[in-house]
Amino acid sequence: MELDAIPQPALEQIQRVQGADLVVGIIHPGGNGSRANAAAVVREALQTFPQPPRAVLVIDDHGTGEIDTIEDPSLAVLPYRLSAAASPALTPQSFFDAYQTIFGLGRKIGVRACTVIASELQCVTPAWIDRLARPPLEMQFDLVAPRYARHKWEGLINRSILAPLSRALYGKRIQNPLGPDLSVSVRLLQSILDDHSAARGMNAGMPVAAVISTAVRANLQICEAEMGARMQPPADWMNLSSLLAQMLSPTFLDMERNAALWQRVRGSQPVPAFGRMEPAPEESGPVDAGRLIDSFQLGAKNLQDVWGLVLPPTSLLEIRKLARQTAAQFRMPDELWVSTVYDFALAHRVRTINREHLLRSFTPLYLGWIASYALEMERGGPFEVDARLDRLARAYEAGKPYLVSRWRWPDRFNP
Amino acid sequence: MWEQVQQALSQSTTRVVSQVASLLPGIVALLLALLISIVVALAVSGVLRRLLTGVQFDERVSRWGLQSLHEWSPRKSPTLLVARLVAWTVILIGFAIGIAALDLSLTSALVLRFFEYLPHVLASIVVLVVGNAVARFMSRSVLIDAVNMNLQYARLLSTGVRWMVMVLAVTMALEHLAIGGGIIRLAFGILFGGIVLALALAVGLGSKELVSRSLEREANRVAEESEEPVRHL
Repeated sequence: MELDAIPQPALEQIQRVQGADLVVGIIHPGGNGSRANAAAVVREALQTFPQPPRAVLVIDDHGTGEIDTIEDPSLAVLPYRLSAAASPALTPQSFFDAYQTIFGLGRKIGVRACTVIASELQCVTPAWIDRLARPPLEMQFDLVAPRYARHKWEGLINRSILAPLSRALYGKRIQNPLGPDLSVSVRLLQSILDDHSAARGMNAGMPVAAVISTAVRANLQICEAEMGARMQPPADWMNLSSLLAQMLSPTFLDMERNAALWQRVRGSQPVPAFGRMEPAPEESGPVDAGRLIDSFQLGAKNLQDVWGLVLPPTSLLEIRKLARQTAAQFRMPDELWVSTVYDFALAHRVRTINREHLLRSFTPLYLGWIASYALEMERGGPFEVDARLDRLARAYEAGKPYLVSRWRWPDRFNP
Repeated sequence: MWEQVQQALSQSTTRVVSQVASLLPGIVALLLALLISIVVALAVSGVLRRLLTGVQFDERVSRWGLQSLHEWSPRKSPTLLVARLVAWTVILIGFAIGIAALDLSLTSALVLRFFEYLPHVLASIVVLVVGNAVARFMSRSVLIDAVNMNLQYARLLSTGVRWMVMVLAVTMALEHLAIGGGIIRLAFGILFGGIVLALALAVGLGSKELVSRSLEREANRVAEESEEPVRHL
């Protein structure tokens, strides 16, 4: 149940705050005093509204179950518990459970919008809360996705896979389809929670993975909010292959559930964006592409049998040719990368091999893409990076017919 | 005396001929049973093969992840394997019927011993199948994780794991079949113990420098990664 993490006294308090307009959930536990800081930030943001909405701040209680006294009737503070491991770093499961708890709380209280903040509290400003909460409360938007100011080596899983894949599938150009900071309206909230309950048997996993697809399916309004630079809390990801598996599995599962939807979508459109775009921070140094190429070559040498169960012979041949390239010539064509991602998504669906093995074996290919991207963008500025990523996104859209045909007739090609 | 020799010879000839004559119907029945069982086996096998081809049994077996069944099957076709197994079972049954016609007491003893042994055969087949699946799963897990950890000897590790699990499974299967007895147990103990001892010595002595270089390389890689500007999330 999504509200299992809420202690009983807090559930009783929920009954007293019925009729609140907004739930703001802070996932990262933060240090001592974080509740007071968070409350101050939210309060300041709410004051900028013409009519400040009644809000509930949901924040980790560090296992104490204590509830702050309500000094300000417009902002109630409710505690919740993260995963029982209670480590300083977030585990993937605790992260996903927190979303579900906050969404469930929003539905139970009957709010008009639900805002989730997953970034470090230090970088969260009143402007963040304002840009995330105002569109669903005052502008009839149903989903507010974040736009971050990032240097060219940040958010690479999102840049290489999640964002362009979401764009090709659902036709919306969103920089960060998986948030993690986002806002949803009550209409979208209801749809997400209903779909999540229905999909439990299919290992629903991460509810935030279904936000874009649910919004598109219900024909809801989506926008983006400029958030500036983001600081991430430490995450308890064991290693890159675990991280990839945790990010790609819910995405591929969502693809499977919404196949009828994305197969009808053609092209993509931008969504409205609010807030002033801030310059990207400077990257701290160059990327060691040589090490990444070594990892790719090791994968190409040892994982041909595994990849051969997933990828067609043409892709395998191209990968072998790429593995023989020198660092100066190492460039992974967008078409190869896109078809590889699509083939892995299909293999995930038909369970060609164990899903955990499938996603972990993807790691060397991903490292190969990073190496190619790093070599290409070594001297590239923000405009070059944006142009490059837009070209990649167009390659995803151009490759969509390949995905559709293989998805509909998986038996026609059996490696 | 010659009359007595003639008489003895004639009596023994009559005895042998009459014994052969008494066996003859049984032998003919055995041959007939075999012939009929072969014909039935061919017919059943043909029907079964058509049926399994119609439901795309080979493709379904691939999808269920039982790739090893393809490798064990004649002409890499599980359909053919199942059809042939059924055919041979029918022939064996025909043979048993023929033997029963020949000598009932012999058949009863044979059948009894066969059915006593059958659970052990089935258990050993299950052990082998499960062992093979576990070996393939574990070897693939080790291969993928070792590659992701940038270990150059990933394939060697993976093959080693696979062989160790298979040796264990084969030993357990032979134990079930009561083949070899103590020799198998001893050989397995020596083999496994030898492998473990060799690995311990390699890490401790012989390959110390290789392992420490590999670990040092890995530690440097982790340190380098923490200084990397790449952020995946």
